[in-house]
Amino acid sequence: MDKKIGVYICTGCGIGEALDVDQLSTVATSECNAALCKNHSSLCSPEGVKLIKDDIAGEGVNTLIIAACSQRVMYDVFDFEGTILDRVNFREQIVWTHPPKDEDTQMMAEDYLRMSGARMKATEPPEPFKPEQEMARDILVVGGGVTGMTAALEAAKAGYNAVLVEQAQELGGFQKNVSQNVVFPFKDVQDNEIEKLAAAVTNNDKIKVFTGSKIEKLSGGPCLFNATIKQNGSTSDHRIGAVVLAAGWKPYDPEKLDKSLGYGVSPNVVTNVQFEERAKAGKISRPSDDRALKTVAFIQCAGQRDPNHLAYCSSICCFTALKQAIQVKRQDPDTNVFVFYQEMRTPGQGEDFFRKAQSEGVIFVRTQAPEVLATESKVAVEAFDELLGEKILLDDVDLVVLATGMVPATSFGEDYKAKKATEEPPKKEEMVASVDSIFVSDILNLEYRQGPELPELKYGFPDSHFICFPYESRRTGIYPAGPVRRPMGVSSAIEDGTGAAMKAIQCVELTSQGMAVHPRAGDMSYPEFFLQRCTQCKRCTEECPFGAINEDEKGNPLPQPTRCRRCGVCMGACPERIISFKNYSVAMIGDMVKAINVPEEYDEKPRILVFCCENDAYPTIDMAGLRKMNYNAWVRIIPLRCLGSLNLVWIADSLSKGIDGIMLFGCRHGDNYQCHFVKGSELANIRLSKVKETLDRLALESDRVRFEEISITDYEKVPGILDEFAEKLVEIGANPYKGF
Amino acid sequence: MSNRVDPNLIKELREYGLKDAGKCYNCGNCTAICDLSTPENPFPRKMVRYVQLGQKEKILKSPEPWLCYYCGDCSIRCPREADPGETMMVLRRYLTSLYDWTGFSKKFYTSEKFETTAVAAIGILVGLGMIFWGIANHAMIDWKHADVSSVWSTAGMEIADLVMASILSFFLLTNLFRCVKLVMGDYFKKVPLKMYYEEFKYLLVQFATQKQFDGCKTKGNRARWIAHLAIMTGYATIFLLVVVFLNGLPFMGINFLKFQRGWASMGHVNEISIFNPLRLLGYYSFFALMYGTSYVIYSRLKKTAPQFKNTHSTDWMFLILLQATAITGILINLGHIFNWVFFSYAIYVIHMMVAIPMLVLEVPFAKWAHLAYRPVVLMLMKVKGRYISEYEEIKGAVLEPEVAL
Repeated sequence: MDKKIGVYICTGCGIGEALDVDQLSTVATSECNAALCKNHSSLCSPEGVKLIKDDIAGEGVNTLIIAACSQRVMYDVFDFEGTILDRVNFREQIVWTHPPKDEDTQMMAEDYLRMSGARMKATEPPEPFKPEQEMARDILVVGGGVTGMTAALEAAKAGYNAVLVEQAQELGGFQKNVSQNVVFPFKDVQDNEIEKLAAAVTNNDKIKVFTGSKIEKLSGGPCLFNATIKQNGSTSDHRIGAVVLAAGWKPYDPEKLDKSLGYGVSPNVVTNVQFEERAKAGKISRPSDDRALKTVAFIQCAGQRDPNHLAYCSSICCFTALKQAIQVKRQDPDTNVFVFYQEMRTPGQGEDFFRKAQSEGVIFVRTQAPEVLATESKVAVEAFDELLGEKILLDDVDLVVLATGMVPATSFGEDYKAKKATEEPPKKEEMVASVDSIFVSDILNLEYRQGPELPELKYGFPDSHFICFPYESRRTGIYPAGPVRRPMGVSSAIEDGTGAAMKAIQCVELTSQGMAVHPRAGDMSYPEFFLQRCTQCKRCTEECPFGAINEDEKGNPLPQPTRCRRCGVCMGACPERIISFKNYSVAMIGDMVKAINVPEEYDEKPRILVFCCENDAYPTIDMAGLRKMNYNAWVRIIPLRCLGSLNLVWIADSLSKGIDGIMLFGCRHGDNYQCHFVKGSELANIRLSKVKETLDRLALESDRVRFEEISITDYEKVPGILDEFAEKLVEIGANPYKGF
Repeated sequence: MSNRVDPNLIKELREYGLKDAGKCYNCGNCTAICDLSTPENPFPRKMVRYVQLGQKEKILKSPEPWLCYYCGDCSIRCPREADPGETMMVLRRYLTSLYDWTGFSKKFYTSEKFETTAVAAIGILVGLGMIFWGIANHAMIDWKHADVSSVWSTAGMEIADLVMASILSFFLLTNLFRCVKLVMGDYFKKVPLKMYYEEFKYLLVQFATQKQFDGCKTKGNRARWIAHLAIMTGYATIFLLVVVFLNGLPFMGINFLKFQRGWASMGHVNEISIFNPLRLLGYYSFFALMYGTSYVIYSRLKKTAPQFKNTHSTDWMFLILLQATAITGILINLGHIFNWVFFSYAIYVIHMMVAIPMLVLEVPFAKWAHLAYRPVVLMLMKVKGRYISEYEEIKGAVLEPEVAL
């Protein structure tokens, strides 16, 4: 592309008063190769936008540098088709955070212009990825329970074909064995209508149902998946666009429960799942002799919220116990029903259902560790009632129901990664990112280099982030939903099935246009590999948080662009720097670093370079600007797609250029990570630790490079962190490489 | 030691009028809002929890139900509409039946049929007795002057009254003794008699003024207190005048207190005017009783406040008998003044048919019994508190660990 650069400086929002705009125009035309440089008092106004549009049409400007506000605002206004564009953040990160008409402030603005010029020089317009094969748009739903059936139906309603694979001979999942349930708005129990849902799925032309089936193999990537489905000994291949994983759950094995809960001693101690079977069969009676029930005790959190069993809350057992208690009371109102609980978790309108149970005469006992005193013939429950402050004994109990929890179907099977790690232990000096288990649960059987199933987040649940990004997993185009994602009941499962179907549809739509999905939805760039120089080090295939890159037998990476989230972690990982995007590359950032004007040592103007995650840390710095907080003017900020795309050569480039200190602003990593790309900041931190060793060897103080975890709420800390680092650099002294 | 749960208690209490205690989720708003609840004797939440967990033994030993005057604040504040105030009321009925060793009270409270049959049976027996007495005495009847003493001699009536009072007192006092033992528990034997004696004045003050009732600061409580006080003072006054001093206890030489007297115009010798203090006291009783009972009956019909929302059958029985007693009582007096002879004799029989079942059933076995339990328990709490502060703390003894509920 033959570039004609136009630089537009906005003088509104205080920029014109704080900076010498004429001087900046000179920098733009002399140092950024700008064909023209204009300023306007309000670039985002219709007149300002018209000014730019006229230049595009009249002057043939196709490369825009807009020096105004942050790239995080007004992106819809500064959107010009057929151009490449860079935003220089004069407002939030310069004039709102630094004194006006100041030498340092002016130097900062000039540097940012130069950096943008370097960036635009290296940027090419991205071309969307178009594979040779046709892109498939069908949605594969794995699991035919409430979640899966809902997902298939919702996808069909939106006009997509669905392929539904169910392991059992009939549709319905766990709910098939449940006679009554309680759903939003949680007023009363109701008959389970799973059959209606199953019939709707079976009768839908757009849904192809495979019962008694499993997925033998799933290869490819979004819109290019090839699913091999095995049914009754025969296999068939299907081209798939995206996948909803609704494999469901299994009850926790009651044999593993603590003996104090009495399971296995008396037949009158059952689990909540076994209670459902009895309720489905009709009359609920004393298991040992089928006599009518006089007293029933429900014990909540049996082997749950307990690090020795399930460390988490299954979220549905409180509702289930309330429902079952009401079922007992409805059968005979004179039956005495007691619920022993730690915390009654019926959030939102679920509270109404708790009231319902109370009004039916169910008595609740809050206690931490109830004991079931069971012999073969007699069962009693002893518990410390927290309100009474004393122990109580409920004897002659006819039925004890233990609330055991939900275990995701994906958590069964051998740990693939752990097994691999023992087979080929990592080389001694090599530091690796924390390993997330992939259990060989025989559900998806992915043909992915990193393992055959989805990586777990915690406790075997394959989600990628519970709170921020529901339904996302670490395998692009595969969306877990329902109890396999997190423990949940019917109401949430229906919501989940719908949500995941929408995610799958978004995936199909974006991918078929050659665009990235969440979190860089719409991004058309993708990593290109200059394979001639590849040394088969496998770092890219190993470190890709989304398992997007397969490998051939020789260890060469086989990129799968439709699986890629465009974070650039592979680019940061590659020691040969052979991975680059059209608009984001190692060389490009290197050029930006080199564009910074580093004053001589006697100027006493050190320079601090901040490589900053653009997802959380960059807006955090903007927020400091919005609050007009001041920070050190030696700082130069370069936003990165993800800190995980940080290539170590940039650090070397910066230090040899004479930059005095480098900070990496990334998201929290490890447990409760906040990284949009899951592993990015963690990987950056690991790479940094290697740099520090190198620095020490070069007799450069390792304190010159620092990693900071910044979350979106940290804006108040940011100026302090930067100022403190600047003071530290003064203490250390100037970079000895300055001026070389 | 674990406390055995009696899961059937909550069902048993339904017969005493329990409705919503199961709804309670033990938040404690009721205890927080209660003006009378103290750290030593917190209620109503604790009592509600006892009910939910079938802690019969603990309820039996609890003084708290008697410390509550049912202002209704707790029931208004209760976020679950579990009506804790009514639970306290139910527990008073339940405790009355538990204190009663005869088992009569329990039947009276738990069976409406038994209740009406008992009232009717005693009423009819009394009526028949009066009529037979009249017939046996027919020669002496004065048909010219309305003079009930000519039919049923005042001296005879007084003796009958005193006999009845002694029997009732026997039942009431034995029940009261059980109440004291249960409420005091271990302290029953520990506390020196002297202390009871010293605090007896407090009992009398509480009995006469029900000052504690006025401790509830709820709006409208004072009106209820006044109505309650009117019923109590009205009834106590007329009880003394009619049951004790009907004939002025001649053997004690206090004839001037004799209540049943005739008119000079009708040929009687020891007349008094209607402005005689004795008569005025009688009129006070009538108006006090009429005001009090009408106020409560109206409130219960209109359900003006939480405590009037749930009316047990025994509550109606009590009010009806009480008001009927007052009305028939004043009619006797009117018959007397206006010399309606037959009317006077007939209404006298009816008066007895209403007043006696009321006394016999309600005083030792039902609602009237609280006139003894309440002030006595108040005194016991004071005695217990004094004992603990004077004796146990000096000795460094630790109080029973009470979990604040």
